[in-house]
Amino acid sequence: MQFSFRAALRGTVLTGALALAALGLTALSQGARAQTLTLAVSASPTSVDPHYHTFGPNESLDDHIFTPLVKMDEKSRPVPGLAESWKMLDDNTWEFKLRPGVKFHNGADFTAEDVVYTINRVPTVANSPGSFKIYTKAVAGMEIVDPHTIRFKTNGIYPLLPIDLSQIYIIPHGLGPNPLTEDFNSLKDAIGTGPYKIVSYQNGNKAELERFDGYYGTKPHWQHVTYRMIPNDGARTSALLAGDVDFIENVPTTDVATLSKNPKVALSETTSLRFVYLWLNRSHQDAPPDVSGPNGEKLDKNPYNDLRVRQALSMAINRDAIVSRVMENLAIPTGQFLAPGSYSYVPDLPPAKYDPAQAKKLLAAAGYPHGFRATLTGPNDRYVNDGKIIQAIGQMWSRIGVQTTVNALTWPTFIGRANKLEFSSFLLAWGISSGEASNPLRSLIHTYDKSIGWGAVNRGRYHNPELDAMIAGAMKIGDDAKREKALQDATRIAMNDVAIIPLHIQKNVWGMKAGLTYVARADEATQAMGVTPVKK
Amino acid sequence: MSATASAGPVKEETPFRRFAREFAESKLAVAGLVVVLVIAALAIFAPFITPQDPYDLAQLDIMDGRLAPGALNGAGTMHYWLGTDDQGRDMLSGIIYGLRISLSVGAGSALIAGIIGSALGLIAAYVGGKIETLIMRLVDLQLSFPAILVALMILAFLGKGVMNVMLALVIVEWARYARTARSAALVERRREYIEAAECLALPRWRVLFRHLLPNCLPPLIVIGTIQVARAITLEATLSFLGLGVPITEPSLGLLIANGYQYMLSGKYWISFYPGIALLVTIVAINLVGDQLRDVLNPRLKR
Repeated sequence: MQFSFRAALRGTVLTGALALAALGLTALSQGARAQTLTLAVSASPTSVDPHYHTFGPNESLDDHIFTPLVKMDEKSRPVPGLAESWKMLDDNTWEFKLRPGVKFHNGADFTAEDVVYTINRVPTVANSPGSFKIYTKAVAGMEIVDPHTIRFKTNGIYPLLPIDLSQIYIIPHGLGPNPLTEDFNSLKDAIGTGPYKIVSYQNGNKAELERFDGYYGTKPHWQHVTYRMIPNDGARTSALLAGDVDFIENVPTTDVATLSKNPKVALSETTSLRFVYLWLNRSHQDAPPDVSGPNGEKLDKNPYNDLRVRQALSMAINRDAIVSRVMENLAIPTGQFLAPGSYSYVPDLPPAKYDPAQAKKLLAAAGYPHGFRATLTGPNDRYVNDGKIIQAIGQMWSRIGVQTTVNALTWPTFIGRANKLEFSSFLLAWGISSGEASNPLRSLIHTYDKSIGWGAVNRGRYHNPELDAMIAGAMKIGDDAKREKALQDATRIAMNDVAIIPLHIQKNVWGMKAGLTYVARADEATQAMGVTPVKK
Repeated sequence: MSATASAGPVKEETPFRRFAREFAESKLAVAGLVVVLVIAALAIFAPFITPQDPYDLAQLDIMDGRLAPGALNGAGTMHYWLGTDDQGRDMLSGIIYGLRISLSVGAGSALIAGIIGSALGLIAAYVGGKIETLIMRLVDLQLSFPAILVALMILAFLGKGVMNVMLALVIVEWARYARTARSAALVERRREYIEAAECLALPRWRVLFRHLLPNCLPPLIVIGTIQVARAITLEATLSFLGLGVPITEPSLGLLIANGYQYMLSGKYWISFYPGIALLVTIVAINLVGDQLRDVLNPRLKR
């Protein structure tokens, strides 16, 4: 009896001790949890190498580990990063003053030598699917004045250099000649000056980040960040609702209405730099193969070469309906590249007014009183609601007599054929990484010219020599205010000539558990640094 | 002979009547058959009964998108009894047209695959030798791959479209008919009537298709009904995955896929009703198929 009593007593004590220990552990893990942020992004990076691929998901992750000379703030305006200040000394020279006392994650000091090393490395990265050399191309030479002053030589005036260099993350020259992309992926060379060190990386699954206490900027709130990749929209939303993750990017438009009513979830949104638009292919003089007369007969010329047809097709689109019905108000209708408030936004250029009656008149005036048959192509797995948008436009065009066949393709098929100019009208979107109009004007609107790399994605082969001269002229203006005016003039001409049909500018939405807040960024980047608990 | 021997006052029952009587023994199967016939009628007469042509973009209005069941359209001229999808497509019309695609793809591919597969199976059994080895190894090869994988590869290669889906289904399904036809024919060809036909020096094709084929038909019919249901499911799966029909001409699978993303936001009807339609169709066809198997299988004779 006594024996069993002792045993019982011992058992009780043991249980008590265990319970205490468990309690302590829970408290500990709760303490650790308060310091940990688990976030989920919608697309996996292709590499940890910051110079491997000009790809948004890579840049999101890189922003934690590395920093560039010039950073972009949440509205995509340039602010000091590793450089404290910069100025144009003369038409061919930019001088950057570098921040003193900055340490890399491995303890090395940051100096001008690292900048030279990085910029020389960028064009040598092997097998890059999208090279960063477009951003270093303008640098014709570099000169180290002292360890914290560097001069860049350009061929002729180049006002965009600070913006171009905001894309280049600086790595330490101690990595030696030709660091390999694999060595970044294995984390051996993944050493930067950013607010977080990367401690583990599983491609397509997650990365673990630890706060770097030697960071020169504002200390981020979270000690530890688990950076998960959940491409499936439903799974990502469900993970947030279940509490598996604290923070997600790209909340699906279909879920926003429901989530905004959920008291356990907070949302943060901002207008992005990604505008969605249609191309009307101008490379054909005779009718494109997928366009024909109202009864299927062959047309004698390409209808899209007639300004009135282009205006009619733009006017026939009810942008407000697309924004409210298809995009669930997570977009703003647009008549140009950028959202209000951006540098080089044109205030007097509103979205084309929805006017089907006028559109019909214009078509009749252009010689198509009974319309024609068109094919509108687009991807169905690339942009937010891309397949639904082209179907809705198909409805609207059909109403003005343009009988539209809608053709939705998977992205790899679509973009391959779009590059071969196989489609007559098609949907694309463009993210303006620089946050100003010279980028879309040079890439999309300028005549396709391989020798200077301008018009590289002019997939409609729009061609306007007068406008080309204006774009080139604007790029030679050093004064920001005067250049803005020139870019606005060029934008106005392109839009009045309906070089493209702009539809809307997307909004970016992040979702997080209640009690957190996020500084929503126009450039779509998802940064743990921007997530903080709400101050009570 | 035995029939004449037992012939008395009872009037002789024709084979079809006997078949019909045995089939009608299962009330469930009869209900299934009625449902199949109703669905087939709906599909055939779709353009005359639906309130809207869901494949004509000019008849859709995005402003009527995602309306709940029973809502009135923007112009106030018609009700959407089962709601609308995100493009403003009437779900009732969409489902009926979707059934049309599903049934025609299902029945069409099962029929073509049945003809090709049975012919190859009969030839394999009747001719034998190297040809039989060749055909049957092809069948083994075909059956060793999951059907959905083969269909996905074919569609990735050929591109979307109703005809391509049908072709893909024929390619993945013929093998089952071939195997069934061969095993049935192997049994039948040792029977005396085949020997008799051969002794009469009838041409080979005549023995094959006039004598052997009709006697191998019962198991093939059973396989056929099951394969129709399977083809419908497979087509729905392919469309759900975005590889089947064009987005402006949704079949049941694509309608379900379109609505799937709205499940979390409570707009259940976009996926739910097409799902029910698909379920009812498949169950009805399978009920009919099951009873056919029981009736046509001599071993299950009571």
